[in-house]
Amino acid sequence: MSIADRSAPKALVVHSDLGTLAGIQDALSRGGCEIVAARDLPTALMAATHHFFHVVVISSRVTEEGDGWPLAGVMHLIFPQAYIAVIAPDKNVCSLQAAINHGATHVFETKTAPSEIAGAILKKFPTPSKRLQ
Amino acid sequence: MPSKPAMLIVDDESNVARTLKMVFEREGFEVETAFSCADALKLLDKKPPLDVLITDLNMEREDIGLEVARAAQQLKKRPVIVICTGYANPNNAQEALDLRVDYLATKPADLNELLAALRRLLALRAAQRGAAQ
Repeated sequence: MSIADRSAPKALVVHSDLGTLAGIQDALSRGGCEIVAARDLPTALMAATHHFFHVVVISSRVTEEGDGWPLAGVMHLIFPQAYIAVIAPDKNVCSLQAAINHGATHVFETKTAPSEIAGAILKKFPTPSKRLQ
Repeated sequence: MPSKPAMLIVDDESNVARTLKMVFEREGFEVETAFSCADALKLLDKKPPLDVLITDLNMEREDIGLEVARAAQQLKKRPVIVICTGYANPNNAQEALDLRVDYLATKPADLNELLAALRRLLALRAAQRGAAQ
């Protein structure tokens, strides 16, 4: 089933920084996504057992350096068709390699504004609010 | 008994290709080698479905391995696609990510890590095919 067939894409946003988390959450919600937010790994894993996600946005550093990558890998195993974005300090070879090897779809740099991240994700998904325009 | 997974190794350094062939044959793969992008593209057309493609990036010209990956991506039965290179940079790594390459290994590759990744990716592929049937 294509994403266009679904009513509202469901997104999991995992970030330890409350401001960034809220920013992405707000922007995706305004775009018509249903959001589940998590600030740590256990909450993120618990969310994955309760929901079906079409989009997952993860900081490469949730509680410690680099722990977002294996979480991205786990999310890719659970939701193989999901769009998985990782927010990393730099978009260098190491980050891009980690993204490929963990099944992520996209890497955003930490400096990218939450609205820009949400905008790039929403472009991939015709959410209900966008379809009405 | 299940048949051996079919692998194509593409590398213009024949010593590298032959060494990898020896290693992966010992691990139970049926391995074919090609020493250029042109030869690899011919083999992709002719051969029965491949399970794994491992390609170098720089052969006839820089980053031409991405063309092999792109061609493999379009096969009816898409193999697990691995790029193995000593010349990864942010541009070709981004392109590999956009192509949804399954694994990016940098030379000298850790063969145990690569083998573990291949087994995981093949098992995942088999599970997805099983679920789709």
